[in-house]
Amino acid sequence: MNVSGPSRAVRAIAWLGVFVGVTVIMVGVRGRLDRVHVALAYLLVVQLTSAQAGRAVGMSLAVLSFLTFNIFFVPPYGTLAVANPVDWLVLVAFLVTSVISAQLLYRARALGAERERLSATSERAQSLEQSNRMKDETLAMVSHDLRTPLTTIKGLAHEIAAGGDERAEVIEEEADRLNAFVGKLLDLSRVTMGTGALDIQPNEAEDLLGAAAQQTQGFARGLAFHVEPSDSMLFGKFDFVQSLRVLVNLIDNAAKYSPPDAPIDVGARRVGNELRFWVADRGPGIADVDRERIFEPFYRKRVGDVDAAGAGLGLSIAKGIAEAQGGRLTFVPRDGGGSVFTLSVPAIDLPGDVASSVVGPAE
Amino acid sequence: MNPSSSTDDVVLVIDDEPQIRRVVRNAMEADIARVIEASTGRAGIDVAAAERPSLIILDLGLPDMEGAEVCRAVRSWSAVPIIVLSARGSVQEKAALLDAGADDYIAKPFSTIELQARVRAQLRRAKLAPAAGQTHVIEADGALIDLATPGVKRDGVAIHLTKTEWQLLRTLMQNAGRTMTHRQLFSAVWGNAYGDAQQYLRVHIRSIRRKIERDPVRPRLIVTEPGVGYRFQMEP
Repeated sequence: MNVSGPSRAVRAIAWLGVFVGVTVIMVGVRGRLDRVHVALAYLLVVQLTSAQAGRAVGMSLAVLSFLTFNIFFVPPYGTLAVANPVDWLVLVAFLVTSVISAQLLYRARALGAERERLSATSERAQSLEQSNRMKDETLAMVSHDLRTPLTTIKGLAHEIAAGGDERAEVIEEEADRLNAFVGKLLDLSRVTMGTGALDIQPNEAEDLLGAAAQQTQGFARGLAFHVEPSDSMLFGKFDFVQSLRVLVNLIDNAAKYSPPDAPIDVGARRVGNELRFWVADRGPGIADVDRERIFEPFYRKRVGDVDAAGAGLGLSIAKGIAEAQGGRLTFVPRDGGGSVFTLSVPAIDLPGDVASSVVGPAE
Repeated sequence: MNPSSSTDDVVLVIDDEPQIRRVVRNAMEADIARVIEASTGRAGIDVAAAERPSLIILDLGLPDMEGAEVCRAVRSWSAVPIIVLSARGSVQEKAALLDAGADDYIAKPFSTIELQARVRAQLRRAKLAPAAGQTHVIEADGALIDLATPGVKRDGVAIHLTKTEWQLLRTLMQNAGRTMTHRQLFSAVWGNAYGDAQQYLRVHIRSIRRKIERDPVRPRLIVTEPGVGYRFQMEP
């Protein structure tokens, strides 16, 4: 509701014109006017000016009308001198009244504008909240609508497979693949829309590594875990579930691209203000030209390598998750061949009273 | 119904989708339990009260009631194990349902084998539960834990636990096989009014693991349920 520059100046000049006109007319009929008429006429002009051209112009006009009131309507005319001391009272009362009324009008308008602005803001917040809720509901609905029939397909395929039809096993596997793909798409939309609703908490590194070990035991053999230094308690502020998914994804990739018997090292260490989880493999590594592109959505390491690369959404989602929690996901070649992927999250120190309440490890 | 079912357990399936009820029924009647069905939350609560099933499988997304509401209603008069099925699979939902009294949570689409395993585990746990109060000694994965003495030995060597660690371990063991949410563990050990809940819990869990687990990075006794809580494993 602010009056903008040019139109404000135009309005100020217009109201000055009105003021001059009113003054000229009143001077013309001065003999028939009471000072109250003059005061009321000026007051009206000052107030309208304040309303239309802003407080500063209104106040200036109040002072100006105080002067012209004195010069043209308070005897002796044509000077600032005041013959009757009572007229001073009239003039000062006029000045105070016009200034106060200009001020009050301004405040009332400012309050109105603020109320409007606030209601616009809360409307925007409300509509944001509403659209977030709608997105959540849509995601929930899509999950439900896709996964409920998948459950039936899987369940019935399992029954048929139990009867000895191997084709039914394929149906069950494909249902799983479809479900994994639904999950990835939902993740991608969550990450890109920023509605992941991350649950960022103080979490402990060994807890995350343990959960990763548990989730990867089916497909990744020969994992070696390293907490450095080995008896340290490393804390970070991160979303446990999402970070776990990133780590499992990195281990999964490492397992896919490494020779079957090559070891995969997984570890955690504190570096400055970061808690770093790293996954190092002895796979073929990543060519220089691909190093930037591996984090792009739908990028695949090897064209046509459908089985190994899946939908190609893994690393881009992982990077999105890392960054959404104030961390990062990086790649460096491993000394002696292979890749090292690192998930870095903000580290936190253990409060003194917590540390002292814990007796050190038994070994 | 499978007349050859070798148990007299009865499972109540509460689900508005007839196809899902069918899949669950077929999975259960392969030698696990007899199945009764309800298609709304309200009907499910009534059937549960009338029939007293051995276990309830509750699908979320019922047309008439929130899943947590059904859990709380049943939990107000019964300790029957409740397994929740959900298509959403978010940890927040899972934790909220466990807090509301559910015993386990399976994300859709589930495999028949997984569903059967979870149901068997809950039925077994429910049968052991009355005895669990008297059982003070658990021997698992080379660790001997005696809640009565109390004392812990790992491979025959006595291990010292702090008071807090004991309380935490006792809470987990008394609910062995069941995922205890962060909230449940915290209120059991510290009460509700305490500082940085998450961090205290993490610190003490790690500390206990370092003492009783053979390999604390690959815990086999106290298992992490990501984003939800911790579970004491009955059969590592």
